[in-house]
Amino acid sequence: MNLLFYIFSGLMLLCAALVVANRHPVTSAMLLILVFFFMAGLFVLLEAFFLAVIQVLVYAGAVMVLFLFVMMLLDIRSSQIRRQNAPAMLAGLSVGFAFWVEFWLILRHSALPVGAPMNFDAGIRPIGKLLFSEFVLPFEITSLLLLAALVGVVLLSQKETR
Amino acid sequence: MNYTSLFGYLLGEVVLTAAAFVILIADVMCHRKDDVGARNQRMAWWTLTGLFLAAVVYAIQFAQGNANFADGTLVINPLNLFFKEVILVITAITVFFSMEEPVSKHVGEYYAMILFAAIGMAFLVTSENLLMIFVSIELLSLSLYALVGFQKQILRSAEGAMKYFAFGAVSAAFLLFGLSYIYGATNSLSLPAIAETFKGDPLMARSPVLLIGILFTLVGFGFKIAVVPFHLWAPDAYEGAAAPVAGFVASGSKVASFVALTKFLLLGVAPAAGAATISFPFTPHFTPGWAPVIALMAFISMVWGNLAAITQTNLKRLLAYSSVAHAGYILVALFGAKAWGQTAIYFYIIVYALTNLGAFGVVTALANKVGGDDIRCFAGVWRRAPGLTVLMMIFMLSLAGIPPLAGFFGKFYLFAAGLAADQMQLGYLWLVITAILMSAVSFYYYLQVLRVFYVNPASRGGPISICPCQRWPMTVIALIIFLIGWYPTALLDWIQGFLQRV
Repeated sequence: MNLLFYIFSGLMLLCAALVVANRHPVTSAMLLILVFFFMAGLFVLLEAFFLAVIQVLVYAGAVMVLFLFVMMLLDIRSSQIRRQNAPAMLAGLSVGFAFWVEFWLILRHSALPVGAPMNFDAGIRPIGKLLFSEFVLPFEITSLLLLAALVGVVLLSQKETR
Repeated sequence: MNYTSLFGYLLGEVVLTAAAFVILIADVMCHRKDDVGARNQRMAWWTLTGLFLAAVVYAIQFAQGNANFADGTLVINPLNLFFKEVILVITAITVFFSMEEPVSKHVGEYYAMILFAAIGMAFLVTSENLLMIFVSIELLSLSLYALVGFQKQILRSAEGAMKYFAFGAVSAAFLLFGLSYIYGATNSLSLPAIAETFKGDPLMARSPVLLIGILFTLVGFGFKIAVVPFHLWAPDAYEGAAAPVAGFVASGSKVASFVALTKFLLLGVAPAAGAATISFPFTPHFTPGWAPVIALMAFISMVWGNLAAITQTNLKRLLAYSSVAHAGYILVALFGAKAWGQTAIYFYIIVYALTNLGAFGVVTALANKVGGDDIRCFAGVWRRAPGLTVLMMIFMLSLAGIPPLAGFFGKFYLFAAGLAADQMQLGYLWLVITAILMSAVSFYYYLQVLRVFYVNPASRGGPISICPCQRWPMTVIALIIFLIGWYPTALLDWIQGFLQRV
């Protein structure tokens, strides 16, 4: 189990780094699908099978197809593929490094509450029950949020005629 | 679980949502062929009707008792209802400001987005639950990104919206990461339950997982309230947005975010405050927690916001940097004793939001008629619109904190709360001194704006006519600022009364 965790998360981090480092958007998108798959693997290790399936179906399936559609519509020429901006990369790496050092220092000096027993059932039925009882309000507001996003996107992406 | 009673408690938000749907549909079905100006006014009245009905619902709920639904996802108490009313007022004033001239030809979508943002704010002030806070912040932010980008024919608008969105997306990731760590450390989502976990476990306040969570959460909140390391979007977004929208972002969104941040820090993770005191003679005392982070953000915000505002040539950018500085002042009061600090923050955020809204109202009313929102465009407006410049003077002086106006008392309470922190040991004196010095600096640029309005010679043009839909709300705001300035205890007593009934 532990070994699988390290394999999945290691590959996930590798793919995520490649998503950022890669210069071609379609290749990045494909690598992102791999990230989602490994994430689904982590959910399986947690015995949250339903979440794993949803992760693959929704993210790797639906969301990524939309990503690719958008890229196709944008019609990015090879000349417009972004160049690496050295100062920005340096700044990003240094901030990231600072965070990494901070995490490492903090976690080295303390025991993480790991190994807490899993005492919840992450099947479809309990998740559905929770969504419509305890978390009904955030769940419903999310639908409003999606509507707002939808209206905003349609509005902003529409071509304005004079 | 009683869905009927939940629906009753949610009635105000349901009314707002229904109003947004009605507007979206009515605009498409019935008014597509009408003239844009007429459509704009009709939709504005629909919005105002919705806001009024929701305000009535909230007023009725005042009479009913407190309620707490599902782990703090919905908390009904007088304080939260009061802030919901404040948000409705701010939204209504924004709608009045946009009545004269449509921001874009997509009128229905514009008002629906304003209502969606208002719903997000209403949920944000009323929830004491991490998940709910995140979802409502997202609803609020998404609506505001779209609102900022509404003027599609203007390039700056797209630039502002893009920067706002990029910053917002990254900070939302930080916020969610932080909240999940807090959940991992405390095993609860509701703020009072999180506070409970500190009682059972003395080591909890030093738990590294919790502290990382709080730090990341503060990044997310820092973006929403625009304090210095996370403020870069504000000047561009304010400049690019239509003036009423900029006013809405600067007032409504600030009120909701500050209320949520105050609750999160003082209600939820107060024991993990740590310390960042410097007592006399110079002996700094730092304990890890959120206090050093907040103190640092407050300090840089006050200094950088005020200094950067001096160099601005655009009035909206100047107001953006001034709002960064004001966010810094407000953070000072977070160190105060719980009741005192909370009262001071709630008092000031209301005063500040109204004043700022008024200032943006002046920009709305004048910008198109004087040919832009650069400060020099407003030269000599005194002769062309005397009434409006008097209002502008009240707003600017209140923002600067000149005694008979509400802004002075707001700042006074904030700094007093900051002084009273640290068991009256004056440990945060350094922060309060910075705040006072920096508000002295701020006089310079507020008065500079007034100088342009009053002293500089006008270039051209006759009297400017102001739409009553802008004149009256601004006059009311100015009156409120004046009245609060004369009787600050009235609002203060209200807030304290509400806090006692929480």
